[in-house]
Amino acid sequence: MTFSDDRPTMIEFKDVHKYYGDYHALRGINGTIKAGEFFSLLGPSGCGKTTLLRTIAGFEDISSGVVMIDGKDVAGVAANARPTNMVFQSYAIFPHMSVAENVGFGLRRDPRPKAEKAKAVAEALEMVGLKGYGARAAHALSGGQRQRVALARALILKPKVLLLDEPLSALDKKMREHMQVELIKLQRQVGITFILVTHDQEEALVMSDRIAVMFEGEIAQLADPETLYRRPNSKKVADFIGTMNFIPAEVLSEAGDKVEIDAKGLGRVTIDASMAPPAHGESPVVGLRPETLTLLYDDQKPLERETDGVIDEVIYFGDMTYYDVYLGGTDVEVRLSMRNVPGRPVLEVGTKVRVAWSPSALVLFR
Amino acid sequence: MKQGTGLGVYAILYLVFLYAPILILPVFALNDSQVVAFPLKGFTTRWFGEMWADANLRSALLRSLVIALSTSTIATVLGLFAARASVRYAFPGKPAAMGLIMLPMVLPDIVVAMALLIVLLSLSVPLSMLTIIMGHVLLCMPFAVAILTSAFQSLDKSLEEAALDLGETRAATFRLIILPLVMPGIIASFLICFTISIDEFVLANFLGSGKPVLSVYIFGQFRFPAKVPSMLALGTLLVLFSIILLGFAEYMRRRGIAKAGGKDSGGFL
Repeated sequence: MTFSDDRPTMIEFKDVHKYYGDYHALRGINGTIKAGEFFSLLGPSGCGKTTLLRTIAGFEDISSGVVMIDGKDVAGVAANARPTNMVFQSYAIFPHMSVAENVGFGLRRDPRPKAEKAKAVAEALEMVGLKGYGARAAHALSGGQRQRVALARALILKPKVLLLDEPLSALDKKMREHMQVELIKLQRQVGITFILVTHDQEEALVMSDRIAVMFEGEIAQLADPETLYRRPNSKKVADFIGTMNFIPAEVLSEAGDKVEIDAKGLGRVTIDASMAPPAHGESPVVGLRPETLTLLYDDQKPLERETDGVIDEVIYFGDMTYYDVYLGGTDVEVRLSMRNVPGRPVLEVGTKVRVAWSPSALVLFR
Repeated sequence: MKQGTGLGVYAILYLVFLYAPILILPVFALNDSQVVAFPLKGFTTRWFGEMWADANLRSALLRSLVIALSTSTIATVLGLFAARASVRYAFPGKPAAMGLIMLPMVLPDIVVAMALLIVLLSLSVPLSMLTIIMGHVLLCMPFAVAILTSAFQSLDKSLEEAALDLGETRAATFRLIILPLVMPGIIASFLICFTISIDEFVLANFLGSGKPVLSVYIFGQFRFPAKVPSMLALGTLLVLFSIILLGFAEYMRRRGIAKAGGKDSGGFL
């Protein structure tokens, strides 16, 4: 995942702060977004992700710091003069206009002849899969169609950056998953930098080249999806992205790039220093994803380490089963996920089991 | 069902009490007799002709129309500013300002009329159509602001931002996006202010000069029994006109909300 390393910078934040009265909405944002990147701002509601997006669009003035777009400081540059376009959460389709009038709205000041503009509108509609919808009334469209119109309307101006403010949150689950894939394809096709705001960690993982996880006005971690998932840099990020088991631990020794720990229920284990992000001054815990733990059947041998356990809860999902298991006679309970395959029956509560795990999957938070 | 019967009867009686007198108007306006009393004599349209032949009535009507048109224009324009400000911006003293604007809705007209008259006289402002217009604007503002606030509230803020984002100026955004979407509200406000002003009596009587407006003129004519049937003819036309105007205003208001994709939250009809 080195996609973003060798690309020129499109957007740069330098110590960006935003106050609403006494409320400190953005608390020193730093970071860069690369040209052609699919970038996500991910966080719970109120974390400042939408505010940050709106500072790029020019809808919010920042209190201090610098926002650069394509090498230029955009302080004082109004929204209508920035090389960015936005897809709004409500889609903001102009209800009194036709689909074609909506899509062509940004071309009003374009000096090209009418016929060429009409062609551009038709092409934009075709790109989002709405060929032939131009004459329809905008207020008669479905949610998914509105979203496509909003996309076409923003992309027709060939912006350097497309800003997407929770564009999928109003769609149902099937439609949302479908649009995720379509958006990825569209982004590859047009090659424009996409910046997506979302509170849905799965959506961010699926769609993004890189993700900035935000809490309380700060970027907690900025990384590619795999790094975020496998090596979150704090317990908070680990908790927000996917499911993670946290097990109390004790750090025994640190030498070179190795850290030796004693994790309750798992025992002594040595992990790589890269799996121990900088300390936050919290009591140490190790994190383990449910899919890195495996139940062993009688005929199976562990690849690496093995711990005894007792099943406390069984949650059946059809393709998967989640088991909550007490580890090694302790009160430490972990959740693990198993694929349901033929010949491996779903186990019952109270069954004594063997749990296989790998030290390389452990992350230490402290 | 049984429990509700009493209330149902009450509701019907109530409506009859409210509207039956209005039905008397067209009945006697078309009755071929100077005396307003049953039994009816026969059908005639001569009271309508007599009404139209009255030059004083025509000039009173003209004055009322000028006042109503001026009032509804001024109240709607001022209401536009007030509604936009109250929906979109936060500023110190907003609740107090909006409260003061809406206050004339609950103040007795007679109190407002007396107070204005005293102030105008003490400032030696001559009473004229202009003073009536000022009074009517005061009276109509709450209605204009209520209707226009509802129009602005159903307007998604991101529509404006989207137009700006797509390269338009603030002025063009107002002209291309905001104005068309609140236009039904503007029309509705205009029409309702017009109907309020055209038949308003108390302020028009207090703040007018010697030349009467329509409502004051009608009141004056009722002293002469010979004039009553033609006044009933005029009343009949006014009722029809009001119903049409209010119906149209409500239609525009609803269409505006539907157009902007919002949910209906009240209204006058």
